[in-house]
Amino acid sequence: MQFTKLGLLAGLALGALVAASPAMAQTVVKVWSIDGIDRPGIADTFSKEFNEQNTDIQIEYRAIPFDDLVNETLRAFATGNAPDIVSFDNPDFALFSSRGAMLDITDRVKASDVISKAQYFEGPLNSVSWDGKLFGVPKYTDTIGVFYNKDMFAKAGITEPPQTWAQFAEYAEKLTDSANNVYGATFSAKAGEEGTFQFLPIIQASGGSYNNVNTEGAAEVLDLWKKMIDNGWASKDVLTLGQWDSTGTFNSGNAAMAVSGPWEIDRMVEDAKFDWGVTLLPTITEGGERSSALGGFDWGIMSSTKHPDEAFKVLEYYVSQDDRLFPEFGNLPARGDIELPATGIEKKDAALKVFQEQLQYAQPRGPHPEWQKISKAIYDAMQAALTGQMSAKDALDQAQATIKGIVG
Amino acid sequence: MARIFNSMRDGIGFDLILVGAAMVFLLALAGLPLVYNILMSFQQVDMFTLGELFRPLAGFTNYVAVVNAPEFWLVTRNTLIFVFASMAGQFVLGFSLALFFAQKFPGAATIRGLFLVSWVMPGLVVGAIWSWILAGDFGVLNTILKAMGIIEAPIFWKSDPNFSIWAVVIANIWLGLAFNMLLLSVGLAAIPRDLYEAAELDGANAFQRFWTITLPMMRSTIGAVLSLGLIGTLQQFDLFPALTEGGPANTSNVAGYWAWQMSFKLYDFAKGATISVMMFVLVLIASVVYVRSTRHEVRG
Repeated sequence: MQFTKLGLLAGLALGALVAASPAMAQTVVKVWSIDGIDRPGIADTFSKEFNEQNTDIQIEYRAIPFDDLVNETLRAFATGNAPDIVSFDNPDFALFSSRGAMLDITDRVKASDVISKAQYFEGPLNSVSWDGKLFGVPKYTDTIGVFYNKDMFAKAGITEPPQTWAQFAEYAEKLTDSANNVYGATFSAKAGEEGTFQFLPIIQASGGSYNNVNTEGAAEVLDLWKKMIDNGWASKDVLTLGQWDSTGTFNSGNAAMAVSGPWEIDRMVEDAKFDWGVTLLPTITEGGERSSALGGFDWGIMSSTKHPDEAFKVLEYYVSQDDRLFPEFGNLPARGDIELPATGIEKKDAALKVFQEQLQYAQPRGPHPEWQKISKAIYDAMQAALTGQMSAKDALDQAQATIKGIVG
Repeated sequence: MARIFNSMRDGIGFDLILVGAAMVFLLALAGLPLVYNILMSFQQVDMFTLGELFRPLAGFTNYVAVVNAPEFWLVTRNTLIFVFASMAGQFVLGFSLALFFAQKFPGAATIRGLFLVSWVMPGLVVGAIWSWILAGDFGVLNTILKAMGIIEAPIFWKSDPNFSIWAVVIANIWLGLAFNMLLLSVGLAAIPRDLYEAAELDGANAFQRFWTITLPMMRSTIGAVLSLGLIGTLQQFDLFPALTEGGPANTSNVAGYWAWQMSFKLYDFAKGATISVMMFVLVLIASVVYVRSTRHEVRG
């Protein structure tokens, strides 16, 4: 009985395999990304359309949740079942490219009519480069700035958005109205990648970088952040809130300023019942160096692929659709040669202009093969300082020592 | 030949087969992963050797690196707080509830059954619910405490380094309470009624009856409940990602969650294995203590 059942199952599985494989001699290119899990995304939509063109290449697309993507790919690569094309969050890309797990596509891109290196912003391009070679192409990008509640600013008699972090803290104090549950500011200082995402730009603006974190400017701003939390100008919950939840309190009118990115715009247009605007991330000194975080995903071909040419054709197809990223999916293309069409929603269009300007200052996290550990050293230091376990200077010094051990 | 066959059907051979089947099962599903884990903690692991068994040896460097990590002592302290506070809370409250429901009143058994709801719920769901209850600015608990005049300003259970580990402890006590209560109820029900009647006739008061009859008769049940509590608490994972993610600044991070972070967030599989081996040693010591302390007991 058991055996008949097993046999039946095996037969079914075999049948399914036969049915799934197309009649013609087609090449199957496996693509993994996080798109298409809860709503249609870039990779799943484009893959479907590519397959409908009925070329001799067919894409076998698999959507993997964000938290599992790197682990799943590591395991698949180690056991020889890796996909041909995969899309990583940009700080994760170097983990693979630096160890030869991604295909060097420098020459293919040079010969390509569709993809050209020159069209991309510098930050996103750096995240797919390693050792002077190109291992992928940016998929889309984003960055962070400061959203501010114009109605609250007017009520507090503040006319211009903050330009420096000192001003940011000063305005946060003025805007705080604890009787009405309004905090002056909100941001995400979470123990995780989002925390590093928001704090690293400050290190960079102070003249530092991911391997030089204990700058005076960074310690100064960290002290300002701590002051805001200690005095109740920002909620203590910024230590545990992610950016999406943190900005949620801004939308509901419980915070007057919020540090976050363009992914918030659509929800804010819906939810925020007040006049709001976006400004560039503050600088440390007046007119000082600007910087911002670089978010977004990258495409890459894995070096274990048996069909590099076909995989590159798929990549070219994805890139050729870049002008649809913003109107259809709300993502910013990582290139300067695509004009974003006006949406007709006044606040949204104004916000996008600011974020496009901000993108010029966006710098990648890393790239470094052990980015996750560097990132942990940075957000651990940030949290140790903000919770008062260590002074900002000591915390950053300790992070620097840890990072030195990693970078060498 | 026939004799061997016979002994396999009925005799020493049959016993050997039974023992063998159990051992194979244990070895394959618990022993091998354990050995693999220990082996991994002494190796260098990266993405190219992830799928292999024999990797470059690392000696004790993983262990040294883990102990020297700045958060090591904080995590150790948190693990101890989490384990002992959770176990104490679950046990004391569970025992009180079990005694309470042992009083025969209408609906006692039904209501006791309803308490199991907390135990049936997945940890992630419990974590999400407690996440709302313990939220800082608009949390249910803070609203209640404020209304009762116990606190002035909201307590940031999840974000305040002084409270974060206790936020997880509270949720964990609630989660394990029903299980403790149930096991202890069974133990209570097994104590013969006539012992109490005899004691009452002799003039023993309620406290004396509890101290000289209930507790001694419950010794083996209590031992089992405590050791299961230790194992369950050390295994607790779901509450951490749902509540605090170990933060802020690792003030609510415990060994189990730290090991997971090492392996699946920082992709340092060797150190993740190292931490779990250290945890395993801790559980082993606890189990040895438990077994030694109960083996002379007469089980009842």
